[in-house]
Amino acid sequence: MQHIQREDIYIISRYSSLTEQGTDKALKENVYNNKEAWQKFLQLFFISLGIGFMASGIVFFFAYNWADLHRFAKMGLIELLIVVTTCLVCLHKINITTRNIILTGSAILVGALFAVFGQVYQTGANAYDFFLAWTLFITLWVIISGFAPLWLLYLLLINTTFILYAQQVAGNWSEVFVFTLLFIINAAVPVTAILISRYRKTVNIPGWFLNTVALAAVTYATIGIIIGIFDDYKTSLPVLILLASIAFASGIWHGLKAKSIFYLSTIPFSLIVIGAALLIKISDGEMMFLLVSLFIIASVTLVIKTLIDIQKKWKNEK
Amino acid sequence: MRNRDNIQHLLEHLQTTEEKELQFNKEAIIAAYQKSRYHQSLTIKILSVLGGILASLAFLGFLFIAGLYNSSTGQLILGTICIAGAIGINRKYDKILMDTLSVSFFIIGFILLGFGLGKLQMTGSTISIAFILIAIFTLCVVQNYMLSFVSVLIMNGSILTLIILNKAYDLIHIYVAAFALFITYLFLKEARIITAGKALSRLYDPVKTGVILSFLAGLICLGKRGILPVSPDYIWLSSVIIIATIIYWEFTLFRLLNTTKSSQKIIICIFTALTLLPTVLSPAIPGALLIILLSFLVNYKTGLVLGIMAFIYFISQYYYDLNFTLLTKSLLLFSSGIFFTALYLFTHKKLAANEKI
Repeated sequence: MQHIQREDIYIISRYSSLTEQGTDKALKENVYNNKEAWQKFLQLFFISLGIGFMASGIVFFFAYNWADLHRFAKMGLIELLIVVTTCLVCLHKINITTRNIILTGSAILVGALFAVFGQVYQTGANAYDFFLAWTLFITLWVIISGFAPLWLLYLLLINTTFILYAQQVAGNWSEVFVFTLLFIINAAVPVTAILISRYRKTVNIPGWFLNTVALAAVTYATIGIIIGIFDDYKTSLPVLILLASIAFASGIWHGLKAKSIFYLSTIPFSLIVIGAALLIKISDGEMMFLLVSLFIIASVTLVIKTLIDIQKKWKNEK
Repeated sequence: MRNRDNIQHLLEHLQTTEEKELQFNKEAIIAAYQKSRYHQSLTIKILSVLGGILASLAFLGFLFIAGLYNSSTGQLILGTICIAGAIGINRKYDKILMDTLSVSFFIIGFILLGFGLGKLQMTGSTISIAFILIAIFTLCVVQNYMLSFVSVLIMNGSILTLIILNKAYDLIHIYVAAFALFITYLFLKEARIITAGKALSRLYDPVKTGVILSFLAGLICLGKRGILPVSPDYIWLSSVIIIATIIYWEFTLFRLLNTTKSSQKIIICIFTALTLLPTVLSPAIPGALLIILLSFLVNYKTGLVLGIMAFIYFISQYYYDLNFTLLTKSLLLFSSGIFFTALYLFTHKKLAANEKI
């Protein structure tokens, strides 16, 4: 029998003589987290808070830019901390999640090190090269750890580096071009991840991570295309449309195959928003807005209907 | 989707939790499964709400360009029709497919009513009270997921608006404290509420999500400086109540973890109170913590994710706003870090020792 879920208890309690005590017991036994889950959760909670606070404490310490501290002392101290934490990560006695959390802490310290370097040698703390260096130097750790939160930090750094580069150095890039590149960078991650997990079954990539990155990619594509629609002719728009179409089509295909409702709802929603923008581009009269309103209601309803039908089909296949 | 066999098994299983013979209406249960939103994942719900909001915005654009916003009678009539229509659609056919349509109608109706009432020289407070009454009325009449969820948000949004418009900023503490108590009741007494009646059972889910978002909205008003000119004299009020609820919540956890020794319980409670003491002037942090703890207890993932995001945000905001030098802040942060790592090592050791026995 399938596992009892909250909805089952809700529905049955409505049409039966299930008492409060019975419902409570059923919820506690089947739905609520048990003792083991709590122990795991509290441990993870404490260590994340511990490492998080310590790392930010260190970052704040160096941000204070203590004048009395010689520059070699500053950098030496932070390098020492990086060495110590990285050594801790190599201890096999500590459990793997804890080690990964510590490594994430060290990755943040690397950022602090480059910030101090920038402070001492006046290279500026928001220049893109600061983020570039930070990104480059933690790459190996990110790959080795395979720890999703660290990967997320890494992607955040890549995005930041790129956006800063576009703003500070490549001022002549068009907005659409910037969004196209951002889309490529972020879409590459779920695509690669899905391909890897197809050929190597041992690799386990958490869904929330892929969904977050895919959502970022879809958002970039949507914004890029909408800017392209409203601005005048931009050479990179056709490229973005082509790439986005390929990515969206494979996203839908993957969603159907992997039975992931996430791709099957995000991508159509993006298309609906783009469609609405196109309609407004054609005319911005009052009737068009009424039409857009109806178009959104009708298309979203259609998507939801299709999704429900697909889900029913999946359940029956099981 | 559960089939007949599945449901039979389920009923047999649930019988084991009851002392008396379980009475049930099997046909009604099967019918309820057919109609239920069992399939409706969070993604589909978000899709409905986002679609509804976008459609309402486009409709608003239409109204402005068409100049329909000039006639207050027209707005009042159209607004009432929209809200009544949304409620009517849901009463007649409670289908997921109608969600986007009815959410759009519902929101558009409120916007039109707001404009219309505003034209009649009504004050913002009167309009807010009218909104609260309509939202309560909706909750009583239909228990559809989407409309109930949106109604809860409109109701609490109107309460916040009332507080702001009347410059009664300190009432926000009562708002936050009341929500903390209400959320704790809602989470800890889930079984009691859903067995109290069909309407309450249907309202439970949407109200839970709506109330968490409303609580977070209140916490943001307190957590980010400058949103509301809250006087510092009463800021401890809401945190004390939130911290008290967290300690009350611990007793539920004690039962779950089979902690029976009173001395242990007292030590843990005092320890929690002391740990949370530095956040007395910043109720947003224990507030977010309360959401995390309650959501994990009942295994409610949406709440957990919202709670964690809020928690990280409020902690950063807290340190950002502190009027200390970066050096003092750094020392504070670092010692908190050591404290939590020590806590981790301590619990880790305890658990390892337990496993050996």
